[in-house]
Order: sequence, then C-alpha cells, then structure tokens
Amino acid sequence: MASEALKKRKPKVIRNEGGTPEGKRGRGEGEQSVEIEERRRQSCVHFMMLKKLNRLAHMRLKRGRDQTHETKQKVDVLHLQLQNLLYEVMHLQKEIGKCLEFKSQHEEIELVSTEDFFTEAPAEISRPHITKEDPHQLTLARLDWELEQRKRSLAQQYKTSLASKEKIEKGIEVKKEYLSSLLPGLQSIMQASLPLQEYLSMPFEHVQKQAEVAHHLPPPLYVLLVQANAYGQASDKNLSVFISGDVDEAKALSKPPEDSQDDESDSDLEEEQNTKRRRATLGGQLDDKRKEMLKRHPLSLCIDLKCKDGSVLHLFFYFLMNLNILTVKTKVSPSSQLCGAVSAGELLNPETLLNCLYASDHGRETPNPANRYQFDKVGIATFADYISDLGHPYRWVQRLGGLQFPCDSPESAVTGSALSANHMESTMKLLRGRLQARLALHKQFISLEHSMIPVSAECQDLFPAKVLSRLARWTTITFQEFVELPMVQHVVKAGLAHETDLFFMAVLERGTARLQAAIVLNPRYPDATPLYSLSLLWKGERSGRTDDNLRAMESEVNVFRMELQGPRPGHQLLTNQLQRLCMCLDVYLETESQVCDGVEGPREFPREKMCLRTARGPNRLKPFKYNHPQGFFSHR
Amino acid sequence: GSRVRLCVVKMGPVEVQFSLLHMSVYSQSFSPCGRFLAAGNNYGEISVFSLSAALSPDASEASQKPILTFTAHDGPVFSLLSTDSHLLSAGNGEISAWSWVELIKRVGVEHLKIDVSLRTSLEIPEINTMVLSLKDNSLFVGGGDNNIHMMDLETGVFKSTLQGHSDYIHCLAVREREGELLSGAEDGAVRIWDSRTGRSVHCVEIYKYEECSRPQFGKWIGCLATDSDWMLCGGGPSLSLWHLRSLSPTSVFPILGCQRQAAFYQDLILSVGEGGSLNHCLLSGEVKAQIPCTPPCLNTLALNGTEQRVLTLGGSSDQIDVFTNLSYRAFSLSF
Repeated sequence: MASEALKKRKPKVIRNEGGTPEGKRGRGEGEQSVEIEERRRQSCVHFMMLKKLNRLAHMRLKRGRDQTHETKQKVDVLHLQLQNLLYEVMHLQKEIGKCLEFKSQHEEIELVSTEDFFTEAPAEISRPHITKEDPHQLTLARLDWELEQRKRSLAQQYKTSLASKEKIEKGIEVKKEYLSSLLPGLQSIMQASLPLQEYLSMPFEHVQKQAEVAHHLPPPLYVLLVQANAYGQASDKNLSVFISGDVDEAKALSKPPEDSQDDESDSDLEEEQNTKRRRATLGGQLDDKRKEMLKRHPLSLCIDLKCKDGSVLHLFFYFLMNLNILTVKTKVSPSSQLCGAVSAGELLNPETLLNCLYASDHGRETPNPANRYQFDKVGIATFADYISDLGHPYRWVQRLGGLQFPCDSPESAVTGSALSANHMESTMKLLRGRLQARLALHKQFISLEHSMIPVSAECQDLFPAKVLSRLARWTTITFQEFVELPMVQHVVKAGLAHETDLFFMAVLERGTARLQAAIVLNPRYPDATPLYSLSLLWKGERSGRTDDNLRAMESEVNVFRMELQGPRPGHQLLTNQLQRLCMCLDVYLETESQVCDGVEGPREFPREKMCLRTARGPNRLKPFKYNHPQGFFSHR
Repeated sequence: GSRVRLCVVKMGPVEVQFSLLHMSVYSQSFSPCGRFLAAGNNYGEISVFSLSAALSPDASEASQKPILTFTAHDGPVFSLLSTDSHLLSAGNGEISAWSWVELIKRVGVEHLKIDVSLRTSLEIPEINTMVLSLKDNSLFVGGGDNNIHMMDLETGVFKSTLQGHSDYIHCLAVREREGELLSGAEDGAVRIWDSRTGRSVHCVEIYKYEECSRPQFGKWIGCLATDSDWMLCGGGPSLSLWHLRSLSPTSVFPILGCQRQAAFYQDLILSVGEGGSLNHCLLSGEVKAQIPCTPPCLNTLALNGTEQRVLTLGGSSDQIDVFTNLSYRAFSLSF
C-alpha cells in the first residue's frame, strides 16, 4: 500500500513539475504556491512515513533472522548429542562383540568331565556346595584339579629319570677305568710283536707311524702321500715313500690358538726390531717378509723310484705354505759309479734333470697366479731366483698334490685326489723314463768322447758293415754359442731351439773333409728327436742351406726317427743318428765328382758304396738310403 | 686345408715342424682359370692354394695357407702340368690326373693313374718333366730311365719312346712351329727331336763349348726354354742363349749358381736356381737384377697366363714366394 502510494505520488509530482513550466503562470500563482506548500508538507510527512515503514520492515526481518538462528543452534546441539550417542552405541556393540568372541585358553585344556571331577577330586578343591551352583567357580575348581594332577605326575617322572641317569653315569665310569687299564697291556703286546712283524715283513708299525705323522702333513702333501702309496702298492713295487722333517714344528703350526702365535710373533717382531735398529731397518724387514712368504712346511715327502738297473731317483717334495704350491728337488743315485764324461755334465744335473717332463713345463715360474700379487708386496721379481733353494714348482708336481690352478688346461674340472690319481701313473713312468734315458745317454757320451759311436746289436741292420767316416769330436756347447752358429739360423728362426734344451757339436771326419753337426737335444729325449744342422768343410764351405745334398742328409737324420729309434724305449736314437750321418757322409764324398782345372783328378775317396744311380731328380740328390740286406744305396 | 698323410704314425707338432723344415717344393702349376696354384713337394704331397684369396685386399694369414693338401704319390712330385681341365702330376714312374673342378672344390680324388712302365728290377725311376704338344695333342714325359716317352692325350696310350740320351732327362721344351722337341739331360747333351718321326735331329753337347762350360759344377743340363728361334739352357754350364738355326751360343749369362729353371718373358729372361735369387737378364747377356727370395735354393718358376700377372717361385723351403711385380717379392704362401 505504501509502495502504491509512492508510485502514485511520483507521477503526480512529475506531472506537476512538467505541468508547471507549460502551465498558467499568470493566474493563480498564489494558489499554486499554497498548493505547493501543502504538497511539500504532505510529501515530508509521507517521507517520514516511508522511513518508518522501512525501519519497521528491517526490524521485523532482523527479528525473524535471530529466531531462525537460535532454533538452528538448538537443532545443532541436539544433532551432536545424537551423533555422540550413536557412536557410543556402536562402540559398545563392538566391545560386546569382542567379549563374546573371546576364547579363553582354559577352554583348550581338556578337563576331566564334571561327574568324574566330582567323584575324584578332594573336597577342598571341588567344593561342591559352591561349584554346583556357580559355573564360574566350577570351572575354576576343575582347573585347579587339573594343575594338581599334573604336578604330581611330573614330580614322579623327574625323580625316576634322575635316578636312572646316576646309575648310567656310574656304569660309564666303570667301563672307562676298564679301558684305560687295557692300554698299557696292548702296547706291551705291540712291542713284543715287533720282531714278529719284521720276520714276516709286514711293517704295520711303520705304516702306522707314518699314518700318525701324515696327519700333520699339509693337504697337498697328504694327497701326494696317499696317492703315491696307493700307486706303489697297486702297480709299482719299486716306489717307496717316506716322510721327513720336524713333526713337532708341524704340530705347532697346526695348533689353532692364534693368540699364542700372535704373542710369539709380536715378541719376535719386537726383538727383531730392537736388533735391527742397529742395522738398516727397511731392507731387513723386507728380507724377513720375503723369507716368511717363501717359508716351507717343516714336513716334506721323499719318493724313491728304483729302476731296473738299480739306479734310484730320489724326489723331495716341499710345500710352500704361504704360496700354496709344491716344489720338488731331485737327487740321483746311479747303480754304479758313473765315470766322468765331460759333455755329460748337464745330463744328470739335479737342477735341470726334470725340465720339460711334460712339454713346456719349465718349472721356472710359480704356477699359482695369485702369487704374483704376494710377490709384488714383498718385492720378489721372479721366483726363478729362489729355485735352487726351494726346488722347482713344476706343474706336474702341483697335479700330483691335487692342486690345480686356473692357468692349467681347462679340460678337466677334477681336483684333489682324483687329479693326483689321474696323473700318478703317467708321471711316474715319465720320471723313470727320464732317468733311464739320461743314464743311457751318459754311458753313450763316454763312448762318444772316445770317438766311438756305440751301435747296439739290434740296430746293426741300419748301416753297412764298413763305414769310413768317423766321429772326431763330441763336445757340449751353450745356448749362446749355438745361436751364433751360421748354419743353425733356420732352426732359431723356426723357434726350435730353447734355453732349456741341451746343445752339442759333433765333428765327423774323413780324409780332408770335416762335417760339423750342431745338435739340439730336447730334454724330453727320446720322445723328442734331436735336431741336426750340418756344415761341410771340404774344398770350400757348404751348409745345409746352400747345398741340397747336405739338406737331404739333415733330413735323413731329423725326419726318419721311426727308422732310427731302435727298440723301445728308443735310447739308441742319438747314436743311430750319428752313425747314419757318418754313412751319409761316406756316400756324399764318394759320389762327388772330383774335377779341378777341367780335368778329372785323382779321387780322394774311391767309390766303395754300391749305388744304383749317383744323381736323381732336378736337384741331383745322392742316394742316402741304405737297403738291407742287399747292401746298396738308393734314393727315397 | 686338410692334411692327408700317407704315413700311419701320427705326427706330433714338433715332428710336423721338423718336416716343414726339410720340405722342398719341386713343381708348380696354375689352374686353367689362373686363380689357383698347385705345388708339389718332396714328400709326394700336392697343395692347392687360392691365389685370388691371397691376392685380395682382405687377405689374412689363413689365405696364404693351402685350401687342400693331399698325398699324391709315394715319391717326390717333380713335375706338375695343367691341361684345360686336369692337373697332371708325376710320381715314381706314374702319372696321375686330377680334375681341377674337383680340386677347387677341395676334393683330392684321383681321376686317372697312368703307369709309365719305367720300372727296373731294383727301383722305379722318377719322372722329372712333362710337356704338352698341343699341335699333335700329345704329352712328352722324361725321367730317370734316360728316355722320353710320348703319350697320346686322347687315348692315353704311349705311342713312342725317344731314345738317345745316356743319362737321365732333366728338362723338355717344345718348338710348336717346327713340331720339334728339345731335351736336356744329365749327360750334358741337348737333343732336338722330330716329334713325328721320333728321331734325334741334332745333338749339342753344351759343355764342349768353352764359353759356357763350368767343369767344377759338372756338365748336366738342368733347364731348357725355347722361343722357336732361340733356346735357353743352363745347369752345370752357365746359363746361355743359343740361336737354334745356327746352333751356336750368342750370349752367356754371368750367374754364379747352377740354374734349374728359366723362361722367356716379354723381352726379359727370368731364371732361378742355386743362390736363391730370381735373375732378370737381357737378351744381350746382361744380368739386369737379382732379387733375393725366401728359399736358399730355387727349383721352380711359374708364370700366370691371365690378366693378373703373377710369378711364383718354389725351392728348398716350405714357402712359395709370390711376385705381383717382377722386381720384388710381395708375400709368401706356405705349405
């Protein structure tokens, strides 16, 4: 209503205002001003009424809002209370659920049934007056009874087992005393049986003693001992094994308490330091470290190989503890005193006797690659410097001790005893073969130095009855001297001469002709063929390089070992080669045309050998092949 | 290549090295296509090498080894000859034919073996030389029985024997145009034969000529080569160039060692022998160059006939020198 009034008023005012400028100004100006005044008053009143109404409206609005707000708050509070209660209810429900689910341990214990319980249990436990009414008390009582029962039976068992244990202990004591009384009796019997053992040659005592000492051997030596003994008993009656060295030291080494060892070594070190302060400290310490690294185990094995002719090869095996390798030293006891042969000096040299038993096993470097790092720490350049002291670390020695190192051939994954057993037989055979070959060579060298080539009866068929060239000189030369000879350069270039080989020079003579033969003898002779290089001094100098016939002669002795090696084991190879050279020299000289100054002069060497043809093929080779029994020479 | 040896004993590695040390190459022959070389040695073995592989830019050490090695004969293989399909090899009194196609495929199976019936009671003489005469399609074989045997290549039958020398035949050469055969022997004579009649037309004893003779070496004739009008011969006597119509020596070459093989090449003369060097000589008698080679004595010289001109030399060594440029050794093949 007010608003309508307002609306009505406004247009009126505007009309009025609009009307005034157009209106009749002149006539009723006074009426108009009174009307205006009236209207003004009315409008003011109306304005006030408007304001009042507005105010009222605002107040009413405010009141309404406040009321709403209050009620809302109340509702909120109540709502919160509801929520709290609901939570509590839920919580309680959960708790109730948990309680209901709870299984007490006591339910798992099998209890005696109620009737039995009442019949068996004594009154103070069962207390029937209470328990019959109250199930809680009943359960408690039953549990009590269960406990009582268990206590009784357990106590009984404990007593009985204690008693039996004491009885058994007493029995053990008695038996121990009995056994200890036996021991001295047994020993006296053993002593008494010693003469009997010797008489029957069954050295149990010896074997036992060895077995005792063997317990203190380091593992590789132990493997070697066991395998060598086994091999000796099984196939080789002429092999015997002994243990030598200081058993007490070995025992001391194997004692575990390291503190005592450390104390000793500390005190030792202190002492050493005290004394060494007077001398150069650094070098001395390094020396000691080296000595320590290269220390040998106090026990060593000695294997004796006896050969058919009575000579014995002694092998001494040592174990270097820190380097974990085995080394070997040798000694030869020939069956009869070997008379001296100058050129044979190196043949039985213990340092080189076992070189290259297996191909390229020189034994100059340690086969254990880990040792390289150890050596670097103490400043050892090569192991070769210590070989004369410590022995040779050949690879076959490591194999016999069951030690295998990564650098060895990877074909076998066997180690330990199997490795040793695999190689024992072949190594022993090679060792014997080596000794016998060297002894045979020694004997042959004595002959050779007396300018006689010993040809055995079985090999006589290889040569004609009459051979006129003879061996004039037989000497040994060094590797350096060999390498400088002009006629051997092709051998050196082909890599067939090594420092480990033995080198000899043989000079064959007939008339004015001199044939020089430089010989490379591989340590594995006679499994390896000696290699000859020739140079002929006769009316000028010719060698196997310049003269095809001399080359053919080299071929005759170097390539045909199957013909020349003679009966097994082939010890005749070298001497047969020399004899063949003499025979070929004969043929060469007798078939050479002797022309000088255009005229065929008198022959220095008359033709005695029967040859079918003196030249054949584009290089006109001479007939060097001897045919038995016809006795003539032909070409190959 | 595979190594097939006749001997029953298995050779250790050192024994193999020994045998290589004492090996001599006596004969060579190129395949018809020129890409393969066959070489024969003193153990009776023949090795086939692939020259195209060895000469290719990515050749390795393995390509200088044979693609095939097999034992062809009991005795040394002194002569090898190639026809347009087969390789002929000479052993002790026998000739074997091997198909080149099979050899290139690394199969060393004999196609044919011809017994030259040279056998005497005590030994079988060797065959030192074989030459082909394309005009009458025949093969001439000379060897240890002092005679030259003529075989018809189509039938494989020996038609005739040329007798006249008093010692074994070293070398043969064919004069195609005139239909003649030249032979040099240990007795110091060079004989010229008419291949149709089989008779010796001329006989020249080289050692009787003062300019050539070298009595300290002997009178044997080791090598012969002919260029229809000219003839090269050498051996004990010095290497000399002869004019065939007048049968007189025109130049004598001052080479020290005894020569074992010589050949005409363009306007040069190449020869090899003792002394271990390849000699380049001019027709005037001058020795232009002497190139050192691996073997200390050379036995055989072979020249390839195809576009890629290659010269190979073999001798007292297991190495065969290969020359792509005649003035220096390029590399060596090894057995």
